[in-house]
Amino acid sequence: MTRSRIDLQDLLFGLFLVAVAAGTLVATRKLAIGHAADMGPGYMPRVVALALMGFGLFFSGRGLWRMRAGIAPVQLRPLLAILASVGVFALTAERLGLAIASVVAVILASFATREGRLIEAIVFAIVLSGAAVLLFVKLLGLPIPIWPR
Amino acid sequence: MELFNNLLMGLSTALELNNLVFCLIGVVIGTAIGVLPGIGPIPTVALLLPFTFSLSPPSAMIMLAGIFYGAQYGGSTTAILVNVPGETSSVVTCIDGHEMAKQGKAGTALAIAAIASFFAGTMATIVIAVLSVPLSVLALKFTAVEYFSLLVLGLIAAVVLAHGSVAKSLAMVLLGLLLGLVGIDVSSGVARMTFGIPALSDGLDFVPIAMGLFGLGEIIANLERPSERRVVSQSIRSLIPSREDLRAAFPAMVRGTTLGSVLGVLPGGGAALPPFSSYALEKKLARDPSRFGKGAIEGVAGPEAANNAGAQTSFIPLLTLGIPANALMALMIGALMMQGIQPGPQIMTEQPKLVWGVIASMWVGNLMLLVINLPLIGLWVSMLKIPYRLLFPAIVLFCCIGTYGIANSLFNVWLMMGCALIGYFFIKIGVEPAPLLLGLVLGPQLEENFRRAMLIADGDFTVFLSRPISAVILAVVAILLLAMLSPQILKTRKQALAE
Repeated sequence: MTRSRIDLQDLLFGLFLVAVAAGTLVATRKLAIGHAADMGPGYMPRVVALALMGFGLFFSGRGLWRMRAGIAPVQLRPLLAILASVGVFALTAERLGLAIASVVAVILASFATREGRLIEAIVFAIVLSGAAVLLFVKLLGLPIPIWPR
Repeated sequence: MELFNNLLMGLSTALELNNLVFCLIGVVIGTAIGVLPGIGPIPTVALLLPFTFSLSPPSAMIMLAGIFYGAQYGGSTTAILVNVPGETSSVVTCIDGHEMAKQGKAGTALAIAAIASFFAGTMATIVIAVLSVPLSVLALKFTAVEYFSLLVLGLIAAVVLAHGSVAKSLAMVLLGLLLGLVGIDVSSGVARMTFGIPALSDGLDFVPIAMGLFGLGEIIANLERPSERRVVSQSIRSLIPSREDLRAAFPAMVRGTTLGSVLGVLPGGGAALPPFSSYALEKKLARDPSRFGKGAIEGVAGPEAANNAGAQTSFIPLLTLGIPANALMALMIGALMMQGIQPGPQIMTEQPKLVWGVIASMWVGNLMLLVINLPLIGLWVSMLKIPYRLLFPAIVLFCCIGTYGIANSLFNVWLMMGCALIGYFFIKIGVEPAPLLLGLVLGPQLEENFRRAMLIADGDFTVFLSRPISAVILAVVAILLLAMLSPQILKTRKQALAE
């Protein structure tokens, strides 16, 4: 943790909210607003977005103004490994089947830590994949292919 | 006598064979995830939601509830033996519980924790049963106007009484509300914020969002910290506490139960706040406060009773008014909606078997937990030896499969991936994700009731103040928010919630 001149946590949260609010206002610009007694579909999104915009500006302003501890540095390894694991599962589950998708997802996820050993991860992934197929497809009846079609 | 009949009806539901089985499954899973640090009840319940489709509503709710209070039992085991809280609610138990274990009294500490939890669970079940009837009678007087105000109170109180900055939590509630608006607008049939993606027209599923934000985001953040787990392998001698131990612990249990029951009912309550308050209370009341931190048995009995009582009484707002007190209860609302039951003030009169079945099952479940936790303690201790490097890939995989399972759609898996990234971002910038989930689940109801109220009142906003019940509720909201501006109260709140 390093001390920084600005409160990065507040600033980032503020900017995030402003971005979401702006995105909402753009995405709902064509929806009818209506009026309070008979609200159109655009009424609530716009009210909420405007409130979020207010919060976002407030946090951004406060973030720039006060001093705080910075953010612990981001470590890419766990972040990328977990996201990749989920992404690969999404890409392969319906095409290659649950068995293969599970093995690949588990092996990728285990790259998130340096403690892991590859052999152990592969064995564990195969065991887990078998358990997942038994539990989710055979027992709970999840409609997902087990093997490539 | 109505109370007695209700409980009897509940017991007959809870004691049906299949419900007993699901209750047992729930409490076993709950204990397991409670024992394991790094997995909380929220992602677990989210993970199991898709598979409760095929169950009857009472079975589903009984099982999911069991996970929640079962986790409170399991959390204390890890706290006492390893000095790592299995759950946030058992942070306090680490202090004196682990100290007792170091002095060779691990068995006593575990037994006292389990007995305190059981005592609190039993008393809390009675509290729920007694409070539910008057609350639900009151709830029947509610129209859209009152219900909207009540939803606002629920959201605001949940924010004020939970961890973290109030302003940031309010922003998170709004963010959740916004996400809840995605999809086809019920009254006009127009698609809102769907960006032309057909999967979005039914709205965002909250399970992938909950799993991404709470489950995966947390895993990524956990992995950044170097792992250190000192498993204290210790033989556990005599699990039966001595008479003096029991005598010392009993008053603390009673006080902890009372405190936990009260704090649990409040919106924003649940299992996290009560144990801290109970520990502080015991320390204040003790004749010799210096014993605390050195293995005081009251320091285990009080907080353990409090967290269990709180976990259970936080069901009261849900079962009577249909309002979730915390993020986990928000998931329970989701479970009800998946079953086609609209949560709300009418739930008690329309679904008496469900409500009383769940209440009675809590007592049954607590009895099971006592048996599961004391004689089988060795099994749970051996579970602690599973290293995290094997645990987390399994969680990731089960999250993927579970998310897919809700609607058999890969879109949800992608959504979960996005939420994992956002969840990690939230952890990095120090924002609590729980209020977002509350906003997301309550958003559609909030909008519907607001619109209906406006329709009744012809667009006149003062209707919320001219109706007495609604006015009182909104006054409480105003007081809560104003209180947050007072530096004195802000300071006390910070102390009370500081971990």
